[in-house]
Amino acid sequence: MSDLDRAIAQLRACRPIPESDVRELCHKAREILIEEGNVVTVNAPVTICGDIHGQFHDLMELFRVGGDPPDTNYLFMGDFVDRGFYSLETFLLLLCLKVRYPDRMTLIRGNHESRQITTVYGFYDECYRKYGSANVWRYCCDVFDYLALGAIVLGASNTISPSAGESSIPTTPEGDEVEIEVCNAQGEVMSRFPRPNNGADSDVQSRTNGIPPPSNTGPPGSGASGLSRGSVGNPAGAVLCVHGGLSPLIDKVDKIRLLDRKQEVPHEGAMCDLLWSDPDEIDGWGLSPRGAGFLFGADIVKVFNHRNDLSLIARAHQLVMEGFKEMFDASIVTVWSAPNYCYRCGNVAALLELSEDDSGLGVLARSNGDVNRSNGGAGSSGGLGEGELQPMKGPARRYRVFQAAPQDSRGMPAKKPVADYFL
Amino acid sequence: MDPTSKRPPPAASSSTTYPPLPKLEILNPSALPSHRFLRPAKRINEGPDVSHFLTSKAYRDIGVWILQLNHALVPRIIKKSTTASTSEPTKDEQQRRQQKAEEANEQQQPPPPPPPPTYALAAKLQSLRKKKDEQQQPTEEIKTFPLPRYRDGEGVDHQEEPESIKKLQRLLKKVEAIIDEAPPDPGPRRFGNVSFRTWFKLLEERADGLLREYLPDGVLRWEQSAGGEKKEEEEGTETETETETEGDSDKKTNEQKQVVGPLEELKAYFLGGFGSAQRLDYGTGHELSFIMFLGGLWKLGGFEGEEKDEDREVERRIVLGVVEPYLRVIRRLILTYTLEPAGSHGVWGLDDHSFVPYIFGSAQYTRPISSPNEPTPLEGSVPNASKPSDITKPTAVERYRTENMYFSAIGFIYDVKKGPFWEHSPILFDVSGIKDGWGKINKGMIKMYNAEVLSKFPVVQHFPFGSLFQWEKDPEAGVPAQSVHMQNQPVASAASAAVTGGVGIPTERPSGPGGVTGTAAPWAQAPAQAPGAGMAPPMTATPWARSTGAGAGVGSSAANRFTPFKPAGGPGGAPHTGPPPPESFPGGTPGTASNQFAVTKAPWAK
Repeated sequence: MSDLDRAIAQLRACRPIPESDVRELCHKAREILIEEGNVVTVNAPVTICGDIHGQFHDLMELFRVGGDPPDTNYLFMGDFVDRGFYSLETFLLLLCLKVRYPDRMTLIRGNHESRQITTVYGFYDECYRKYGSANVWRYCCDVFDYLALGAIVLGASNTISPSAGESSIPTTPEGDEVEIEVCNAQGEVMSRFPRPNNGADSDVQSRTNGIPPPSNTGPPGSGASGLSRGSVGNPAGAVLCVHGGLSPLIDKVDKIRLLDRKQEVPHEGAMCDLLWSDPDEIDGWGLSPRGAGFLFGADIVKVFNHRNDLSLIARAHQLVMEGFKEMFDASIVTVWSAPNYCYRCGNVAALLELSEDDSGLGVLARSNGDVNRSNGGAGSSGGLGEGELQPMKGPARRYRVFQAAPQDSRGMPAKKPVADYFL
Repeated sequence: MDPTSKRPPPAASSSTTYPPLPKLEILNPSALPSHRFLRPAKRINEGPDVSHFLTSKAYRDIGVWILQLNHALVPRIIKKSTTASTSEPTKDEQQRRQQKAEEANEQQQPPPPPPPPTYALAAKLQSLRKKKDEQQQPTEEIKTFPLPRYRDGEGVDHQEEPESIKKLQRLLKKVEAIIDEAPPDPGPRRFGNVSFRTWFKLLEERADGLLREYLPDGVLRWEQSAGGEKKEEEEGTETETETETEGDSDKKTNEQKQVVGPLEELKAYFLGGFGSAQRLDYGTGHELSFIMFLGGLWKLGGFEGEEKDEDREVERRIVLGVVEPYLRVIRRLILTYTLEPAGSHGVWGLDDHSFVPYIFGSAQYTRPISSPNEPTPLEGSVPNASKPSDITKPTAVERYRTENMYFSAIGFIYDVKKGPFWEHSPILFDVSGIKDGWGKINKGMIKMYNAEVLSKFPVVQHFPFGSLFQWEKDPEAGVPAQSVHMQNQPVASAASAAVTGGVGIPTERPSGPGGVTGTAAPWAQAPAQAPGAGMAPPMTATPWARSTGAGAGVGSSAANRFTPFKPAGGPGGAPHTGPPPPESFPGGTPGTASNQFAVTKAPWAK
């Protein structure tokens, strides 16, 4: 353990660990991951994060804003590597934390956790450059094959927990239940949105494909949710976390559990779709411009959530300028955790906190491999009486928005390896 | 890079004679009355087609053309006596040179009688100067080719530009002006601005008229002779474009739907040079298209004065007077519509969007040559060139970006990226540490271009082939080295199995001769002949040896030949970063997903 703690300390300083340590780490990580199901069950409270893409210093900023592991229970939705300069340090640190605190750190697979993609988009080059060989890249790819494909969050509260930080906004008038709270990096509440009692002005924003209208329906990027019903009871329905989105081959979460995931991400099929698909303003399914996965519309999400007793799907995979974006009456949210992506996009990043329901109505804890989840969460069947696709009441969501870490302190490397083309 | 590239001993070689360097062939209309133009068509549909491409006549022409332009920018040593009769330096150049010379203690002038050194520094300076003088005959003058100063897209020496160059500059101005008619949409968007589609549509609609108006006369001559169908064609009826692109009023529809004229063929390369309206992106594949548009003009005799030009003055004008202004238009498009880098590799590409400015810009600073046919030097810098490491100094970049294309491109990176340079542009940062001068950088950039742009399926898959740039095999092309990656170019779509399969294959790097894939492309030979060029790099094997193909390749196919890990991507993603991404997605409206910055595309996507 002390070796592991040392490795964590070294990686936190953004210094790679020796190749032999990587090998050992990856070996241990596989032993842990192999025990996890394709869909990991995670109990709230949990902090959900999107793409990191090797932006190590911004990951440190994320930990500062969201709390240090293991004090905070984290769930990362993949795309740890590629494009950024520090994919290696980023992934190895997360992996160390996973091995050190397996119950406080959940890692699921993104489309970039793949041999083929990493040889194109940078992680391979980076490993080669930092170690002079591809061994480390190979060890990491072997771990990728064992990462879970999704997670189910149970026991999230539908009321916001008291904010840890200072509130710059007076508390909501009593009686109003807060559904969404947006905080800045200092923990100050930037805005709060009560849970509407009906769906009247609900989905204005979700139709505008991005930037919210000036009206007051919700915080930037949020759907402010009108369709979540008023307070009916705790807790909220389950939340499915997956990197990309849905697949036409998957109608029930349980079908994900049946996949053989321990392989390179295929070019097509259910496993591929979960990691590659995107929600879009269309009806039904559409072809994806990415060349893998599909586009899926609001109807698909609503049917899927209803059928699986989900109140929300959290996913990553797409840059959103505000860091998060709720769509389709808040039935799905994109969370993006790489600020100023690629050093030039000018976007902010976000993380999503779901707090624990303490009403006592409870969560049935489930082991990771469980197959029949359907009645696990309370409060679900009520929806059926009210019309087929009435969405379940969503969990209360606190988004913490943050910007790229300051960059002045990073020294320039003394060494400039010569690229082979220039030998 | 040049087939003949044997490095001459420095300086002394003025009297050495070199065989002529290859040039892109100029077609003669009277000799080819029956030349049939073709509407260029996509031929690279699957990974393995890339290996055919690398033995095609088109690939040969691309190589010859880029090296021809590159060579034109290399500084020249001019004998004093001959200076006057060869090309006069422009006023601007003179000015700059003068300024430089002053800065450099007039080292290019015959040295004044050395004053007695009074202290160590002076002594050192003097000995340095002396050393230089030994290398340079006092009767020689070094001529460099900085960028002209531009005003409104035209060089300030506009008056002196040949008519063909002026026309192309006006063409680019018109293209740029369309931006004013398609202001960026202020509405919600993810990243790329949908108004770019409006811009592009306007360009498409006007392309025929613009080309007819601004193409050099030499090219238009072909309209009369092409296909031998004089009567029918002389009024430009050769065009039979998709209805959408009909914008030109004086066009008649032609019964002979088959007959295509030079404009039609050139238009494909011209329009291909301005990004993808569908994906709202721009990358090195688009850049290549525009360069070959210029190559097409060359082939058709569009640049006057070529026959009397013994020292590539025409080519120089093309690069400094047309390519750089083109890049400026592109940069404005990128900023205006936030165009995504096609196939971005993030920090692991050379540049998000571009590649050729790094080739041509490094040539501008390369060690001077002393005769027009002396091959491009493979190392060394011209005296007074900026240092490669200056790219990390913003003030130096500001200073040099107006004179040098490499710095011009670096300057744009500074404009758009935040953060430490070495972190967001590590490949360029590494290059800045090269000690053997700009010639070395130039050589490396060309190798990298061959590997990361021309050999990458995702980039070249959109390049169309016609009568000017032919898909047909070049009879002189060698057998392409059977590299692993070629084998692994995407085959149809069911390549998934191959992916895992490929991994872990312990192959060593494919052993291509000199690491080049077949073909007589000039750069293919360079390695073989350049002493110490290090072209047969230790290629380590990439384990997965697969390739790249897949598009984006997995990898660098060609890259693997040269190097195991190098920079992938480039501008345009790849080294350019890239590879322009897959152009077509199957159906579907370009959904929001496609508008996203740096959205990851499946390498196997077509």
